[in-house]
Amino acid sequence: MDWTPKQMMAIALSRLIEDEKLYVIGTGLPLLSATLAKNTHAPNAKFIFETALFEGSPLEVPTSVSDMRINYKASVLWPQYRYFGFLSLAASRGMIASGFLGGAQIDPYGNLNSTSIGDYFHPDVRFTGSGGANGIATYCNSFIIMKHEKRRFVEKVDYITSPGWIDGPNGRSKHGLMPDCGPLAVITEMGVMRFGDDKRLYLSEFFHGVTAKQVADNTGFSLDVSRAVESAPPDLDALRILVEQVDRTRLMI
Amino acid sequence: MDKINKAMTAEEAVSSFVRDGDLIAIGGFVTNRRPYGLIREVIRQRRRDLYVESGASGGDVDMLIGAGCVKAIICSYIANSGFTQVCRRFRAAIESNAILFDDLSLDVQTIAYHGAALGLSYVPIKNMIGSDLVSKWGISAEERVKHDKLPNQKLILMEDPFDPGTTVCCVPTPKIDVAFLHVQKAAKDGTFQIHGPGFQDLDIAMAAKRTIISCEEIVDTEELRRHSAENTCTGLCVDAVVHQRHGAHPSQCFGYYDYDPKFLRMYDVASRTQEQFDVFLEEYVYCCATQEEYLEKFTAEQLISLTVDPVLGYKPGLKR
Repeated sequence: MDWTPKQMMAIALSRLIEDEKLYVIGTGLPLLSATLAKNTHAPNAKFIFETALFEGSPLEVPTSVSDMRINYKASVLWPQYRYFGFLSLAASRGMIASGFLGGAQIDPYGNLNSTSIGDYFHPDVRFTGSGGANGIATYCNSFIIMKHEKRRFVEKVDYITSPGWIDGPNGRSKHGLMPDCGPLAVITEMGVMRFGDDKRLYLSEFFHGVTAKQVADNTGFSLDVSRAVESAPPDLDALRILVEQVDRTRLMI
Repeated sequence: MDKINKAMTAEEAVSSFVRDGDLIAIGGFVTNRRPYGLIREVIRQRRRDLYVESGASGGDVDMLIGAGCVKAIICSYIANSGFTQVCRRFRAAIESNAILFDDLSLDVQTIAYHGAALGLSYVPIKNMIGSDLVSKWGISAEERVKHDKLPNQKLILMEDPFDPGTTVCCVPTPKIDVAFLHVQKAAKDGTFQIHGPGFQDLDIAMAAKRTIISCEEIVDTEELRRHSAENTCTGLCVDAVVHQRHGAHPSQCFGYYDYDPKFLRMYDVASRTQEQFDVFLEEYVYCCATQEEYLEKFTAEQLISLTVDPVLGYKPGLKR
């Protein structure tokens, strides 16, 4: 059975989700991976959305975090402000394993830009804005999903929407952020990167069909690839569940 | 009880309660329960210089911007998610500096609306600290002073008085002139029910000086008073009740209909250029004096095909 890079990405992300733990998920790839994890190795994992719609089991892929598909078998459909209180309280109690983030640009310390390219006051390209991303970056650990392109992996982002490790091990505490949470990994269609003790990204795994050098060449800052190994190929059962059940209509992948 | 009658047409509601230069807030969330019918009327009456508290908005705010109604947007997120990743008229306006803008995170806007509904003048939070949301002000202090509707400071960082050595970010609560909501059921006295997720709707309805609601169904006042526990809000917070079936079209409405993918895909294309968008506005806004005339643009089949399954809560197998 063959697979696409995006399917590998979904599976690599799904592997990071642990059973019985609580995650803040958005739509798109995080939701697909979460659903896959729940249907494979993490049947008791719990998922909440930033619209305060908690623990639903969508049967069809929702197009947004407010899509009514998310309501199916939810525990609560709270007014939105309840999510933000829950997030900060739950995070301070260590109840949230991770959130999921993305962006147009990322720097070596996992700071993300989903606001604009160029001068913020006269942008070349304007995006949606933070949404709930800044909140997740402030309070929780995160898995970051990115397209692996040189113009996205930059030395310095044009605007920090979601703070990562800022500029090193003391970066977060220096800037008034909780020091012991932050981005844990970056997943792209080429591989998985993690953060070293210096809080800089290094290549941890590259996917089948990709070389470590290719990953480094597609990264706009210097990326340590010395520790990289090839990822295990997709578990065929997981792949089958992904294509036949979770995203039958190929809405996302 | 029967004497109170706030029911009126959209035309009456907007002409009575919405003025040029108002600061407005809109209920719903991206493609869910946005009061499109009311917003089309605001555009049709050519309101200008509006300050928009965006919340998580979609094509409705995009249309206000493209129609030239907006002076400033306080933005946290704007997309027709799944159909247009970043609303196009919004993007064009920001990239050409046609409107003032500033950025907050969605968390912060939501908490600020809740704080406004509590009557607080600001909310002290930890969000946005360490990011450019704090350090970069889209609308500078110098510019803010020129606008009565905007707080003079985007935010103020200070030491938490109850946790010395730590910082809180004090964000002013918006002084909303008009809130627009689409709800499922309302009585003529303004009592209303929102079914399903409430998003930030109750907060903006309470906080706003004037609140206009549209509803799928007008229900007997007596009927709603017999089910007080299910009522979301008192008519004491409402100024106008507008009966509009499919008032949230093309967005979703819990218990009634799913979003309209055909329309949202069409809007994705129509909003690409100002010229195409102007043609769209002519056909779907200026030519439609009422919600009924707007609905005549669609076949009965198209609208009925969006009806939700009563168990699942959405239209299963909807082609998206």
